[in-house]
Amino acid sequence: MGMLSIYLKPNFLGLLKFLNSVNWCIVLFSLINLSECIYEDQIGKFDWRQTYVGRVKFAQFDTVSTAKKIIVATEENVLAALNLKTGQVMWRHVFESASTGNIQLLHVSEKLVTVSGSNPYLVRRWEPATGVLLWEWSLTLQNEEYAEFSEWWVQNGLLVHMLPIFGSHIEVSMYNLMTGQNRGSTSKLPAIWINEGCALSVPYYTCISGEAGSQQILSVDVTSNSVQIINKPLSDLVQTHEGILRSLDGNSIIPAFILNEKKLVIIKNNQFEVTKVALGDTLASVTIADGTGEPMVIQTWSDSSKGFHLKAHSIATGNDIPEIHCTENIVNIPDPEISGTMCTKSAKDQLVCRILVTAADDSLQLMQQEGKILWSREEALANVVAVEFVDLPVSDLDAAIESEFDQKEGSIWAAFSRRLHTQYQQLQALIQSLQRPEGTKEEDTSPLVRDYFNLHKIIVLVTDVGKIFGMDNLSGAILWKLYEPNLDTEGVVMFTRRSARHPPHDAYLTIVGKHEETSNGLIISLNPVRGTLVGERILHLDVQVMQCTILHQTDNEKLHALLLLDKYENVQVFPQFSAPLVENMFLYVAEKNTAKVQGYALTYDGKEVIAQKTWSINLGGDSNSRHRIVKVVAKSPSERVHSHGKVLGDRSVLYKYINPNLVLFVTEGPDPIHKDVVVATCVDAVSGVVAAAQAHRRARALPLAVHTDNSLAYVYYNDKHRRTEIATMELYEGKQRWLAAGAAFSSLASERAPGVERQAYILPAAPTAAASTDTERSLTDKHVLLALSTGAIVEMPWLYLEPRRPVTPSPEQREEGLVPYAPELPLPSEAVINYNRTLHRINSIYTAPSGLESTSLVLATGLDLFYTRVAPSKTFDLLKDDFDYYLITVVLAALILASYSTKYFASRKMLKLAWK
Amino acid sequence: MKCYIALVLLNVFINVLCASNPIEEDIGNGRYAIEGRVFPPEELEVGNWQVETRVHVNGGEYIGFIRDDSTFVVRNIPSGSYVVEVLHPDYMYEPVRVEINSKGKYRARKVNYIQTSQVIQVPYPLRMKALSKFRYFQVREQWRLTDFLFNPMVIMMVLPLLLIMILPKMMNDPEAKEDLKQISNLAKMGEMPEMSEMFTSLFSGGASAKASTSKAKQVKKRQ
Repeated sequence: MGMLSIYLKPNFLGLLKFLNSVNWCIVLFSLINLSECIYEDQIGKFDWRQTYVGRVKFAQFDTVSTAKKIIVATEENVLAALNLKTGQVMWRHVFESASTGNIQLLHVSEKLVTVSGSNPYLVRRWEPATGVLLWEWSLTLQNEEYAEFSEWWVQNGLLVHMLPIFGSHIEVSMYNLMTGQNRGSTSKLPAIWINEGCALSVPYYTCISGEAGSQQILSVDVTSNSVQIINKPLSDLVQTHEGILRSLDGNSIIPAFILNEKKLVIIKNNQFEVTKVALGDTLASVTIADGTGEPMVIQTWSDSSKGFHLKAHSIATGNDIPEIHCTENIVNIPDPEISGTMCTKSAKDQLVCRILVTAADDSLQLMQQEGKILWSREEALANVVAVEFVDLPVSDLDAAIESEFDQKEGSIWAAFSRRLHTQYQQLQALIQSLQRPEGTKEEDTSPLVRDYFNLHKIIVLVTDVGKIFGMDNLSGAILWKLYEPNLDTEGVVMFTRRSARHPPHDAYLTIVGKHEETSNGLIISLNPVRGTLVGERILHLDVQVMQCTILHQTDNEKLHALLLLDKYENVQVFPQFSAPLVENMFLYVAEKNTAKVQGYALTYDGKEVIAQKTWSINLGGDSNSRHRIVKVVAKSPSERVHSHGKVLGDRSVLYKYINPNLVLFVTEGPDPIHKDVVVATCVDAVSGVVAAAQAHRRARALPLAVHTDNSLAYVYYNDKHRRTEIATMELYEGKQRWLAAGAAFSSLASERAPGVERQAYILPAAPTAAASTDTERSLTDKHVLLALSTGAIVEMPWLYLEPRRPVTPSPEQREEGLVPYAPELPLPSEAVINYNRTLHRINSIYTAPSGLESTSLVLATGLDLFYTRVAPSKTFDLLKDDFDYYLITVVLAALILASYSTKYFASRKMLKLAWK
Repeated sequence: MKCYIALVLLNVFINVLCASNPIEEDIGNGRYAIEGRVFPPEELEVGNWQVETRVHVNGGEYIGFIRDDSTFVVRNIPSGSYVVEVLHPDYMYEPVRVEINSKGKYRARKVNYIQTSQVIQVPYPLRMKALSKFRYFQVREQWRLTDFLFNPMVIMMVLPLLLIMILPKMMNDPEAKEDLKQISNLAKMGEMPEMSEMFTSLFSGGASAKASTSKAKQVKKRQ
């Protein structure tokens, strides 16, 4: 027994030490275990997904299946089934985004048939109820030249392909839908009278031909065995001698066309017949639908005065059909187009119609006969081109408190009365909130004010078609929308020129784009919270814009001025009185196709702002190197730097090269020896100095790059090894600081080149978008978000991309936390932030900081929209949402109880001892 | 053995399929088709998993859809090297690299991004089997008594307590008793609020006492 105690005695401290080290191990282990993901019960708590299909190209009602639906094929090469009642996507197939996925035909009968691609074509047959592919066959045309004019339709169970060869003949082939066997050979109809202006109204092909003055209108049924050309002088149908043909929209049931945007002509018994139906507008969209009994003409158009119109006429008599008439005043359907109609007679012998309307702003509406919108889909959001997160304004009460503390002047009594007043207001607000019954809470959910952690924001989205949306980030609900048909969104940029932090001024957001026709600058300024136009409103410039930016300084209304550099190197400032504020401004202009970059210095000479060319470089070496810029990334202007250096294992500090003006250019070009080369160049945009560069041979660049702090990453495809690689760089000043601590960095004063750490890693997937997380003070780790073609967004810690990862780490490096080098990056499923919600064709990821340092807001755009929030270093500033308040209360109460009871018992024992 | 026969049969079936559709192999313009069959996990076999599952060739450059008999054909592909992936939101499939040479010969092999020249052939037409289910979510830790007891912090608290309280009672060694007395003297319960004083006395006094005893031990040992 004595021996045991001897052993135990010295071991007691040892055990404590051991336990302590175990504890450390646990801490370390938790650091290394970087794979973090959400819990299963958090699905949909912080994230939402919206699925879109794109602008509808073809639509047909499926009335055969039990679940009624609309089958649509879209410009985005998507085939989908929409629920007739709600408009939700029931199933969806996403085809190739290139021309190989282009849908040419949609035919719904018992089964669904599509023709997609562009020579070779693929004919597929689907089950409409489930969306399962039944069979497919491929078809190649010999005549490549005119393939783009080919037309497809289904007639009597045969797939008809018509290929007009203008000025010569029409080639018609018919295929058995089931087997793909060509039924007979391709027939050639001699028709020298066909031209580009012809219109197809199945199965007739109609043209206007002949010399001016004596024009003829000709039509031929291309599927009939006997070639019979219907021929009539144009002057018999219309008074004029000129003629323009237009086909009808939305699966017309009778062959017909519109002549000269005025007359509706049908082809009946191989004769042209001008109907008595009057067209409401020259741009009216017309279709002929089965009105259960007699065919009727349905037309829609919109004008500026009354908005949307919907009318129907009987084709035989030309009389109005009163049941179909838009009675409601709808203003927001610009240039409607009928995509499909379905009319049935109800039990009471009333006409019930469903009309599917696609507008110029890509929105899709399903209407009833009286113009009531059953549902609508904003398909413009399938093509988002620019995104900005905007803070919400503080509530009136908070604003009052802030202004109270802002006011320094005034007597003590004034301050006291103000205090009383605000407290009275607070009391009122409290009483009001108490009085409000529980049920009404849902209705007025958001008075759109900032929440405590600034997690509630507005996302402003600019779409390709020119529609601008304001979206609530927590729910994904659209708060406002604005359609600007003249906005060409190629290269559009958005600036928050005033945040909502400056009451009484409202937030101010400016969109700089191009005019659709003139490609001159188009500026749209709006209040991002309400969606109303402010300031410059919609301003159409008379010159093309080359580059734009906003000033750092604000004017007395806290507004950042907008600076535009136009094609003639003149500078425009909005508002103009802010011109004297221009100081130390530099701009660069990069030409995408020549890889030439020029720098400008902007100065104010007392009258106006002048742009002076200061530097110019050719990233491809010389001007005929045929290099082109694939991606340009500068640092986010709102980015902060938390620490200027890294502490190494040997207790020395490695200082980062932090240049706010550094821009990464990724270029690609041909090379005589190595086929293609990808060059990444870091250029100081103020001085034009190249800070670092890296070339990759036999590679093709992908437009994905990340630039934050002192670290850069870009993605390229390695042609030699046929794999995607991600190259990373980190720039360091070295172990000595170049500038004294706290001194401002100046691009013009620094002459030294930074040290560059480089590394490349294999990415075992095909990435489509990349972004880095963004937090308010950059205290939190940076993670890189990579969207993959599989439809997943993977959160990749920078630790894995770090170029300093050693092959065999020394103890010091291990202490620093560097992960040993491995050529392939792990893509664990735990790191997928959108879990099993697959996102198709993600093309951008946008991140924004929130008021919580740990949390970054993420929006991925593509065919779908996906919003979530990520916490790269875990939510260190929030209690976990499964925090057990109950347990901790019980434990605390029990401890207090135990301590007092033991105290009582101890004193009793002492007393007893004393009495002994 | 049964399984093997089934596989052979399946192979035959695929071969027959290919044979019946000779036009699909080569259309004559240097375009080829990649064929295969997807084996869904058993849980999915009843639903229409075909709609959820996609076949991507080179990350979506060419897309194939799965027919209701669970085969797929990706058509109109020029000769070259392609990575074929079967994608499902919940199940993982291993990608395969398919090489089609200019004569139309097919070779399927495992994807190896690191040693790109290494060839481990897999059968063609492709047979894609679901490997496992994706684990997207963390499991929430639940409060269990065993977890609590084996928590290192709890062990750290309880074990010393055991050592201090129970062990000396077990041994009748007078020396140990003396030690224990010393310890209990030090840890003598004062009034509740004077915790700090107690701690300081415990740490400073305890340490010196322990040091002296251990020294004494060492001396003893040497003797």
